[in-house]
Amino acid sequence: MSDTHKAAPMVDEVSDFEILEMAVRELAIEKGLFSAEDHRRWIEYVHTLGPLPAARLAAKAWLDPDFKKLAVADGVKASLAVGIDWINGPPTKFGTPSDYCSFRVLEDTPKVKHVVVCTLCSCYPRTILGQSPEWYRTPNYRRRLVRWPRQVLAEFGLQLAADVEIRVVDSNQKTRYMVLPLRPIGTEGWSEQQLTEIVTRDCLIGVAMPQPGVTSNAKRPVHPAVHPIHTGH
Amino acid sequence: MSKNQHDRAHHAKKASGVGDPQCFRGEAGQAKFKNGDKVRIRDLPDIFYTRCQVYTRGAVGRITKVVYESPAAEDEAWDNTDHPEWFYSVVFRQHELWPDYPASYKNDTLETEFSERWLEQA
Amino acid sequence: MSASKETDVSVAADSEVGIGTAEIPLLEAIGRSGRVWGDLAAQYGVTNPDPPWKVSLDATCDALSAEACALPLLERRAEEDELSASCYRNVPFPERQLLALAHSMLTRDLFNEEELARRMREVRERLTGA
Repeated sequence: MSDTHKAAPMVDEVSDFEILEMAVRELAIEKGLFSAEDHRRWIEYVHTLGPLPAARLAAKAWLDPDFKKLAVADGVKASLAVGIDWINGPPTKFGTPSDYCSFRVLEDTPKVKHVVVCTLCSCYPRTILGQSPEWYRTPNYRRRLVRWPRQVLAEFGLQLAADVEIRVVDSNQKTRYMVLPLRPIGTEGWSEQQLTEIVTRDCLIGVAMPQPGVTSNAKRPVHPAVHPIHTGH
Repeated sequence: MSKNQHDRAHHAKKASGVGDPQCFRGEAGQAKFKNGDKVRIRDLPDIFYTRCQVYTRGAVGRITKVVYESPAAEDEAWDNTDHPEWFYSVVFRQHELWPDYPASYKNDTLETEFSERWLEQA
Repeated sequence: MSASKETDVSVAADSEVGIGTAEIPLLEAIGRSGRVWGDLAAQYGVTNPDPPWKVSLDATCDALSAEACALPLLERRAEEDELSASCYRNVPFPERQLLALAHSMLTRDLFNEEELARRMREVRERLTGA
C-alpha cells in the first residue's frame, strides 16, 4: 500500500532467549554432542511437522470406508496415503526416540469417545500431528485426565452424555495414537479439503469434536498442577 | 558411555528402514495371551526403571489387541535388547482403577499397553 | 486400593529423576529479565504464536537425544516438568523449555556457566554489533 510501511511486521529486537538458544546450540556442537549437519537435518524434519497429515487422514477415512478400515487396522500403512512415512521419514530412518513406528487410529462411534494422554512424559504422534501443545505436556493434564476424564474434558468445553463411553488411552509404551472423530452433521457433500479444515489438532487428540465452521483450536488456559491429584473427590 | 553408543549404533543398523518395534518381529516366541483374555496387572517391584503405571497395578482388564514384540522398557532402558516380549493393549473399566469413580459413568474405560511380564491370567 | 495410589499416577517416571532445583544465577537472571515472545509479538504486531528460535530449540533437543545420547528425551522431559514447577514457574512456554534445557545441560557438566555466559556475550556482539 504505502512505501513507508513494511510488508510484514517483524520483531526488531534480539531477546536474551534468542541469544541463549544460539549459545546452547553452538556449545553443544563445539563439545561434539551433535554436529552442525545433524542439527540441520533435524531442523529440516521439525520444520515439516504439523497436524495437517493427520487431519487429512481423518477426512479420507470419513469419505472412503475401505481406507477407514485400513487406517484402523494399520495406521502406519494408512499414513503413507497422506505422505507420512513413519519409518523412513525421520532422520534416524527408524522413527525418532520420541516417535516409534507403531501407530493406531482410534475410531470414535456415537457411543465411544477416545481421548489420548501420556501419563509418563508427553509421548505424542508428532510424525503425523506435529509438536504437542503445551497443555498436553503439563502434569496437570497428564495426571488428571486418567483420573477425572469428564471433568478435564468439561474444562475443554466438551460435555458428553453419561451413556457415552469415554475411553482414555494412555500412550506410555511404543504405540502412538490419533483419534478419528465422528464426522459432524452438516458436512454432507463436502470435499476432502473442506473436511480436513475442520479436523483440528484438538479433535485428533480427542479433547474437541469437529464442527462446521470451526477450523482452529480454542485457546487453552494452562493451569499449574497444584496438588491436582487431591482435588475433586 | 562407549557401550551405550555402541549399542545405539547397533540398534540403528538393525532398525534402519524397518522401524522400531518392527525390527523385533519374530523374536518373542509364542504369545502367552490373546484378544479377549482377562488379565491382572502384576504388582512387581520397580527396579530402577519402569513404564508400567502404578495406577494399573493389581487391576483386572481385558486384552483388546496383541500389538507388537519389543524388549520391555525395563530392559531397553539399559540397552538390553536380548529378550523381546509380546506387548498387549489392555482395556479397564475406570471403576476397576479408581473405586470411587462415579457409578453414573460406569461405561467409562481406560486403555494402555503392557509387556507380557506384567500380566497374569485373571 | 489405597489412597496413596492416587498420588502415584505418574510416579514411575518421576521417582528416579530428581534433578535438584538449585537455582543457576545466569539462567535465573534471563528468566527474570529476558523479554518473552508473547510480549515481543504483541509490541511488534507479530501473530506467529511461536518465537523463531523454537524450531531450532526442538531440533537441538532431538539431536541431543538421537545423536550421541548426551541427554535422553525422557530425562529431559521429566526435568523440564520439575523445573517448570520450581525455578522457572513464572516463565511462560517455550521460554521455560529453553531454560530447562540449558539447566539440564549445565547440571550434567556438558558445559559450564562461565562458558555459557561468555558464548552469550559473543553471540550478542555478533547479532547486534554491540
